[in-house]
Amino acid sequence: MGFGVLALRASRTSSAINRCFSVSRIFANPSNRHSRSIASTPELRNAEAAAEAPQTQEIHPPRTPLAGARVHFPKPEDAIEVFVDGFPVTIPKGMTVLQACEVAGVDIPRFCYHSRLSIAGNCRMCLVEVEKSPKPVASCAMPALPGMKIKTDTPVAKKAREGVMEFLLMNHPLDCPICDQGGECDLQDQSMAFGSDRGRFTDVKRSVVDKNLGPLVKTVMTRCIQCTRCVRFATEVAGVQDLGMLGRGSGEEIGTYVEKLMTSELSGNVIDICPVGALTSKPFAFKARNWELKATETIDVTDAVGSNIRIDSRGLEVMRIIPRLNEDINEEWISDKTRFCYDGLKRQRLNDPMIRGPDGRFKSVSWRDALAIVAEVALQVKPEEIVGVAGRLSDAESMIALKDFLNRMGSNNVWCEGNGVRPNADLRSGYLLNSSISGLEKADVFLLVGTQPRIEAPMVNARIHKTVRANHAKVGYIGPPTDFNYNCKNLGTGPQTLLEIAEGRHPFCSALLAAKNPAIIVGAGLFERKDKDSILSVIDSIAKLGNVVRPDWNGLNFLLLHAAQAASLDLGLVPESDNSIESAKFLYLMGADDVELDELPSDAFVVYQGHHGDRSVYRANVILPASAFSEKEGTYENTEGCSQQTLPAVPTVGDARDDWKIIRALSEVAGVCLPYDNLAGIRSRISVVAPNLLRVDEREPALIHTDLKPDCQQKMSTEPFSSAVDNFYMTDSITRASKIMAQCSASLLSKK
Amino acid sequence: MAKLLKTAIQAIREKGIANIVKELKEGEFVRCLPDGNLLQTKIHNIGGRVVGVDKFGNKYYENLDTQFGRHRWVEYGDKRRYNASQVPAEWHGWLHYITDHTGDELLMLKPQRYGVEHKQNFSGEGDEYIYHSKGHALNPGQRDWTRYQAWQPTKT
Repeated sequence: MGFGVLALRASRTSSAINRCFSVSRIFANPSNRHSRSIASTPELRNAEAAAEAPQTQEIHPPRTPLAGARVHFPKPEDAIEVFVDGFPVTIPKGMTVLQACEVAGVDIPRFCYHSRLSIAGNCRMCLVEVEKSPKPVASCAMPALPGMKIKTDTPVAKKAREGVMEFLLMNHPLDCPICDQGGECDLQDQSMAFGSDRGRFTDVKRSVVDKNLGPLVKTVMTRCIQCTRCVRFATEVAGVQDLGMLGRGSGEEIGTYVEKLMTSELSGNVIDICPVGALTSKPFAFKARNWELKATETIDVTDAVGSNIRIDSRGLEVMRIIPRLNEDINEEWISDKTRFCYDGLKRQRLNDPMIRGPDGRFKSVSWRDALAIVAEVALQVKPEEIVGVAGRLSDAESMIALKDFLNRMGSNNVWCEGNGVRPNADLRSGYLLNSSISGLEKADVFLLVGTQPRIEAPMVNARIHKTVRANHAKVGYIGPPTDFNYNCKNLGTGPQTLLEIAEGRHPFCSALLAAKNPAIIVGAGLFERKDKDSILSVIDSIAKLGNVVRPDWNGLNFLLLHAAQAASLDLGLVPESDNSIESAKFLYLMGADDVELDELPSDAFVVYQGHHGDRSVYRANVILPASAFSEKEGTYENTEGCSQQTLPAVPTVGDARDDWKIIRALSEVAGVCLPYDNLAGIRSRISVVAPNLLRVDEREPALIHTDLKPDCQQKMSTEPFSSAVDNFYMTDSITRASKIMAQCSASLLSKK
Repeated sequence: MAKLLKTAIQAIREKGIANIVKELKEGEFVRCLPDGNLLQTKIHNIGGRVVGVDKFGNKYYENLDTQFGRHRWVEYGDKRRYNASQVPAEWHGWLHYITDHTGDELLMLKPQRYGVEHKQNFSGEGDEYIYHSKGHALNPGQRDWTRYQAWQPTKT
């Protein structure tokens, strides 16, 4: 080894020591050429000197708060004033420095901080300079104090960020070109904005074994930067203790402690909150880049919650579904069924009108022929033998068209599946989630009757979980054994327990009576029971006992199961006779796949209008292909009475048409032409029947009519409640056609 | 003429009459009667040396005694429907005086991994032989742009 190399080494080590003990000394020593400065901007090379130098006081123009951040002052006397970059901002006491900066309109880079999760403060990316503080402080964990002078773009803060970024990138692989997060990666963006243009790391990067989290989440654990957002999400929002941190120091990894899958119905959300590409979507892996996708803001229809989603499509294909922020409904999470059902939209699609020939085989025909045959049969049968059933995924426009068409044919036997016999469509409070989804957070005692919110409506369950975590609300449950991800007392399995509570004999009554805002959540699975009127009257008496329904608080909630239910009851899709299926000669199924067709006469003519070849097509005589929710503009009302609209993201497949257009065309062929030709026309018709459906994105609360209900003389059976949803992952024709959902139910449900 | 006759008699004497008839039949000399081109090639063949035969049955002749530029020619294997596109690539260079390597020599140099089989030009010979570009609707190898899988009614 030559002397020169030795000298070089010596000077390197000495410069490293210098760096450790006194940063300013190396910076003050320009002759030390071997210490390559990381700072790309020259003024950062001498941060302290620059800070000490008299700075020209810049007058910042007032900035608008970030992303429309609004400040809510619970107590006006608690307002404090801090200065962000010399600009005064008023915030309530208890806010962190980072939140104060957001209000002031300054975006602080962050990885571990997430507004809906607890504060970890371990990524150190959000370091800012605070006057009179010896070191830069992590703004996400530091509470703002009155008169604090926060500086976010000083050389010290910038240098701190550059240093943190260099450490983060030290063990982060340089595989952005093959990473699915590329283009929407926080680390990528922030390293461009705040990082250095070079790194000093020359060693071998660490690598971590990938974990198997199930069929939905793909892990590339080497990319993980240990922000622990996923761990906090799993424990705090999803309510499962599956994920955790193993090892410390450079051996730190995220994982399930033992080899197991992540069994949560919200597990897909860790894909969104992961700031890097460590957790990505398995079905979406290597399918598309995010900048190729067209985003369509629409509504989910796989359950009655109506989560706000964004459908990302490329060309004719739905590539992925991700959530959209809606504080009142789904916050920023969606369930796995919503997120991953999209491959069902590409399979088992009906694309041509078909007629079943005399040999029992289906034959593709033209629309003209198909409509002519349907109209001919419809005109031959007696009006009271015509029956129409709307499916779980029907939109309000097509349901009103179906009802109008059948009424003009002389029949009023039309209903929406899932509503049971003789549904209550008169009192809106009798089928809506009256305290609203976000209002559930105010409740302090929950009584779940015959509903398993975890599989019926995961977003509502997430709210209950949030409430239980926040104010230790008590939860009582009556129904078949099921698992909850919060502390829940199983009171019983059937109506017997309900009676005990109503009569005040049950120990849960004391909790109910002591509660300030008690909430009763009744599952829509009860609507299918024969003795539902008597059960509902018992629930009414419990509500009266616990003072659940008050002018300021309506805690008597009904949790619906399907997207079409609320709108169908608003539109009055109530059958005239109870047993119309048994006497039907002409059955019009509009996407209805879960109707019991066993009692249907064998000579009945069945028309199936829908988008998937699911259960009912096998009984159909004529198939009319319709468009799915991702392909049409439709109005849906969710379980809390908020009407929302879907927008078409992709074109329809094959020869399919919108549901209401098919019925409109059929009415013309049958000679009872419906009076609307476009969406505006059909919506003006809806405005006559249910004007609340047209007030989009607005919740129409139900008026409280507790005393209007007639007394019920029905006898209540002692049969225990049954679960309304057998398989969370497969509830409708789209999810039943989905391969991913089939994988999920195979791998996740069998484990339980 | 006398020389031609003399050569013929000599050939009959050497090979026997039966072999000559067989040769005449295999060479499809009868086709020469309506086809002047073929007749001319057959006459040209006399004295020519067969350099090689390719896999389509085309025979390549050379006669250095004839006029320069007419000293290499081909007798097509298909006597009824022949055209210049039937000459495969490896023989094209030799036939057109581009190279002195015969097709058989060039074939030994040809890598086995790639290179499509030579196909003659079938233009105007019916739909299946007309060339359709990659995106053309009639190209059998075109991509399937259907992005959904239709329900199959036959399963009932």
